[in-house]
Amino acid sequence: MGSEKRLAALEPLFHPADAVINWARSRSLWPMFFGLSCCFVEEATVITARYDIARFGAEVFRPSPRQADLLIVSGTVFKKIAPVVLRLYEQMPEPKWVISMGSCSNTGGMYDVYSVVQGVNQILPVDVYIPGCPPRPEAVLQGLTMLQKKIDGQEAPTRRIFHLGGGSQGTETPVLVDGQTKSRDPRGPGMAGTAIRGTSATPAGFPDSRSDLMWTPEPHRITLGEREKSLAESLSERFGSAVKARPATSDMLTLDVDKDQVKPLLRYLKSESPVRFERLEDLTVIDESARRERPAYPDFSLVYHLLSFDPATRVRLKVPLYGDIPFTESVTDIWPSANWYEREAYDMFGVRFEGHPNLSRILMPSDWEGHPLRKSHPGRATDMAPYTRKDAAAKQPLDAGFYIQHPGEEELVLNVGPHHVSTHGLLRYIASLDGEIITQLKMEIGYHHRGAEKIGERQTWHQFIPYTDRVDYLAGAANNLPYVMSVEQLAGIRVPERAQCIRVLLSELFRLSNHLVFVGTFAHDLGAMTPTFYCFREREMILDIVELITGGRLHPSWFRIGGVAADLPAGWKEKVDEFVRIFPKKIDEYEALITKNPIIRARAVGVGRISLADAKEWGVSGPNLRACGLEWDLRKKFPYSGYENYDFDIPTATGGDCFDRYMVRVAEMRQSIDIIRQATANMPEGRCITDDYRYVVPKRADMLKDIESLIHHFVNVTRGPKIPRGEAYVSCEIPRGEQGYYTVSDGLGYAYRMRIRSPGFPNVQVLPMMAEGWSISDLIAIIGSVDYILPDIDR
Amino acid sequence: MEPILRSELLTPWEPGIFSLVLFAAVVLVLVGFLLFISAWLGEKSPNPDKLRPYESGIIPTGSARLRYPVPFFLVAIFFLIFDVEGAYIFSWAVACERIGWAGWMQMSFFIAVLLLGLVYIWQKGGLEWGPKKD
Repeated sequence: MGSEKRLAALEPLFHPADAVINWARSRSLWPMFFGLSCCFVEEATVITARYDIARFGAEVFRPSPRQADLLIVSGTVFKKIAPVVLRLYEQMPEPKWVISMGSCSNTGGMYDVYSVVQGVNQILPVDVYIPGCPPRPEAVLQGLTMLQKKIDGQEAPTRRIFHLGGGSQGTETPVLVDGQTKSRDPRGPGMAGTAIRGTSATPAGFPDSRSDLMWTPEPHRITLGEREKSLAESLSERFGSAVKARPATSDMLTLDVDKDQVKPLLRYLKSESPVRFERLEDLTVIDESARRERPAYPDFSLVYHLLSFDPATRVRLKVPLYGDIPFTESVTDIWPSANWYEREAYDMFGVRFEGHPNLSRILMPSDWEGHPLRKSHPGRATDMAPYTRKDAAAKQPLDAGFYIQHPGEEELVLNVGPHHVSTHGLLRYIASLDGEIITQLKMEIGYHHRGAEKIGERQTWHQFIPYTDRVDYLAGAANNLPYVMSVEQLAGIRVPERAQCIRVLLSELFRLSNHLVFVGTFAHDLGAMTPTFYCFREREMILDIVELITGGRLHPSWFRIGGVAADLPAGWKEKVDEFVRIFPKKIDEYEALITKNPIIRARAVGVGRISLADAKEWGVSGPNLRACGLEWDLRKKFPYSGYENYDFDIPTATGGDCFDRYMVRVAEMRQSIDIIRQATANMPEGRCITDDYRYVVPKRADMLKDIESLIHHFVNVTRGPKIPRGEAYVSCEIPRGEQGYYTVSDGLGYAYRMRIRSPGFPNVQVLPMMAEGWSISDLIAIIGSVDYILPDIDR
Repeated sequence: MEPILRSELLTPWEPGIFSLVLFAAVVLVLVGFLLFISAWLGEKSPNPDKLRPYESGIIPTGSARLRYPVPFFLVAIFFLIFDVEGAYIFSWAVACERIGWAGWMQMSFFIAVLLLGLVYIWQKGGLEWGPKKD
């Protein structure tokens, strides 16, 4: 009691001590960048010169929890990564603070989907929330200053430091519990008495859609070329009734194939047919169980998309599968790239592939129950039990020994990622190391699975556009293009020339922005810090233009079905012209720093080589394929959006090594500048969205003027336009390669199946081939040179 | 500051070992104090996750206590050999004038042999380690 009194007498001394300690702590925060997704790009931008977080005393961003006291959770917290988030938090020394950055981390945001934790505050205590999707870099600065104020104003660390009991420091807010301290109700709190979807009075599902009352024309039909027709004939001669060509198709030759003939057919198409389909472009499944004309469909459709390089053409194979556990033969012996695709089909749909070397889950955690893309699996996280701290502590990623079962003698099994500064996102490499040489390399993906395909089945055709931005979060509007084009292809929507030109302009701006991040991070991976700052400086110029035109930075969601959201604003041309004038000199600057740098050359030339034959076989696309020597660019080979009107080259290289992958991208930047120059000079006049308002969101001015537009606006914005029943696949050359959308409509206001063929998935699958035999430091160079992005791999 | 040259101004401190003892004592007390204060003030709240090695957020597999191959040991050995031979050259340099041209010739021969050896191991790839670029 006496000591307590003496302490009370000392109390006045504690206040100034608190003030000094808090001042010191708040001005020297060491943030750990736990970049989960898009938000991290803006978080990283804060480090660079324009925003310069160093001004706030938080200069030292650390990748390791041991050296950090501020955890900035930036991006989507996935159920698969949540145990890692918790562990990193636990591994930080005390006192520590947590900032939750972005809507996903705050509440799950727009990703109310089975694989996402609806707010990191369910597993960690959070001090400051930064709203936004993604928040601007300025918002990060504000979040930091808010935390500083919190430390200054609310913490009393002195008693704690001198072991006197009491006092407060670090994060002391409780972890929130669903139903008690937080509500995951998508309608907001206070609605607990009413069931979320459906009551006794209204049914949970709405089987009768009002879309049926609307008339729409037939889906768009193409006439096949002579080559496709003769191919179809020769196939039906050879395979008889087992292979039937569909009489009508919206995009490419479509064949219905019996299950037992599919393998011989694929083998024939790959190596014997007059048109050689050398690439397995995509392999996916459609769960047909929720079709409204159920008897017309099998239980599952297995869909193969094949691509021929010369002549440039595609073919689609549809294989009906039956039963609750459908099975078919694996085609991994024809295309090695089928390995991951088949694993994905197994994981998402429960389709078994006989003869597959390792048929196991690939995107979902190993202990996941059910197959998420089946129609019977819940789509929303809020329809499932909340993910709690207990779950995060109990469910662990599989041990590395599961992936590398027989490491060599005296070999070290090392996890690189999912949280690693050089993995460029949540990707886990498991390497077996003999000294520093990689003898085996395995990968685990799925830490960034945002269920975009499942979301595509519930959001209306227009509502899905923002989700496409986030599939490759560095490519922004370029992502919208394959999606809107697939819908336009299916419904036969014509896009005005001006809109096409605006689309090209923005796509190329984003190509530059993406390649700038590549150049900066690639150099950074090889130990050069300076280029990052240079590249981000010019990237800000591009984002300023994007912001002027669209109002957004990373995710403009700017393209619309039938055009773009609005016309170009006043003053756009001056801005773009200024950039086009300045930028080529800046590229010379980067080249002086990187291309001629002997250290970079020593680290990159000849490292991580992949041959052209392998690249074709494994479905590699984009600059990585061109670095192997193939002049293949969809903008030239399947011209879209008016690319045939532009004069540009396809840069290639021959070596297929890290340096070539870098060189191709640098050369592509120069070509993009050319395309932008031509687009601005020849920007046609006219509308920026089609005037056929059946499927599109009409212009606001028209909507306010005439009743037709008003009705279409109302219907298309609320329940979504009725897109005719059918399917279409459209692929575009986005900065990282070929991104395709396979859109299947059942004649409703939203897609029946939304398949995203991403460039990252096959590009990354070959990474072990590039890296095995090289040293662990080369692995980092190879990762940097492949330029993948996680939401694009895991979707 | 001017050094104090007039020793009578300073108290004689005999025996001289006293100053050493005092110095050692001050050092010990200071070091002890610093260690104590950092241990006492530094907060410790261990938990199993915190004590575990950090491996990108994953629980590590297997042991890290392995016999680590040192592929550059050859380079280290070569350095040692050439370094020792460098010592001969230094000793010759000291006696260079006294042993005259004959010594110079001998030493030139010695260095030439050394250079040949260096070229040989260079050619043989003895100075390279890490994965080969094809």
